[in-house]
Amino acid sequence: MEVTVKIFRYNPEKDQRGNYVTYKVEADENDRVLDVLEFIKGKEDGTLSFRRSCAHGVCGSDAMRINGRNMLACKVLIRDIGANITVEPLLGLKIAKDLIVDMEPFFDNYKKVLPYFINDSALPEGGRERLQSPEDRARFDESTKCILCAACTTSCPSYWANGEYYGPAAIVTAHRFIFDSRDEAAGERLQILAETDGVARCHTAYNCTEACPREIKITKAIGEVKLAMITGKLD
Amino acid sequence: MGLKRDVSLSAGLRYKGPAGYLTYILHRIGGLGMAIFIAVHMLASFVGGRTGGFLNGIYENWAFQIFIFFCVLFHAINGLRITILDLWPKLLDYQTEAIWIEWAVFIPLFGISVFVIISTALGG
Repeated sequence: MEVTVKIFRYNPEKDQRGNYVTYKVEADENDRVLDVLEFIKGKEDGTLSFRRSCAHGVCGSDAMRINGRNMLACKVLIRDIGANITVEPLLGLKIAKDLIVDMEPFFDNYKKVLPYFINDSALPEGGRERLQSPEDRARFDESTKCILCAACTTSCPSYWANGEYYGPAAIVTAHRFIFDSRDEAAGERLQILAETDGVARCHTAYNCTEACPREIKITKAIGEVKLAMITGKLD
Repeated sequence: MGLKRDVSLSAGLRYKGPAGYLTYILHRIGGLGMAIFIAVHMLASFVGGRTGGFLNGIYENWAFQIFIFFCVLFHAINGLRITILDLWPKLLDYQTEAIWIEWAVFIPLFGISVFVIISTALGG
């Protein structure tokens, strides 16, 4: 089938502003958008720039706006979105070139929530591991799935309005550690998230949950963090 | 080098979010509508006279009343949904259903209100 692909193009060395270029290519309905982009880059226009790495929905490199909604290009089949495709970079981040955005602000916000395990108490006697029950592990299982693709954060209108907002991805990561029974810095993280640019900026637009390629219930995770903040309880 | 963050209103509105995004947008329009109504109302009371009468005429107009009732009712019902989901995050599993319930409550209430406003306007 013939596929019409309209791609946002921007070359920082030449262009003052971005523009759209349309390509017509042959593709199979079972091809992914990433395959089509690879084909265009390989056969039609080698200057097209986009990120990709594993191409299997695990690394999160190829998050972009496809037909107006954030998705991973490697997880979307042509048959599911039709023969007319518009591909644009993620919203709310500076565009470096074509579909490549500057992820630094995203990772800066991510670092603010202390995205690592904190436990300064002595290790359990006779053991090298801090054990955890399956129930306690299940409490934060959902939020361990995040691949930091930024599809959620850049679909959030609160983040578009204010780039200082930590964003859904950072809060999901905070959730992963706040509800980990072995971690000891939940209070510190909740305090960080209680700041002006923390969870209060979430207005439950729900875009993040829909955009997440890992199907994490992000709004729910943010809701649980909000409740923990209000009640001071992690139940 | 590089393009700045694209956060224009038109770019945001073009994002194809789910049903929750529509309610998010309408919630803001509702808030803005109420702020306009209160501002016009206060201004009318403040200036008085002919100008006050003219301003009163704006928000007493039946079309404006339909608009303002939409703003108030939608803002209230959507706010209630958000509050309930914020207090009981487990219910966020049923976010989509909650939005359907919201519309199921809003549409008949708004429909009846529009009917009453229009029939009063035509009858009066």
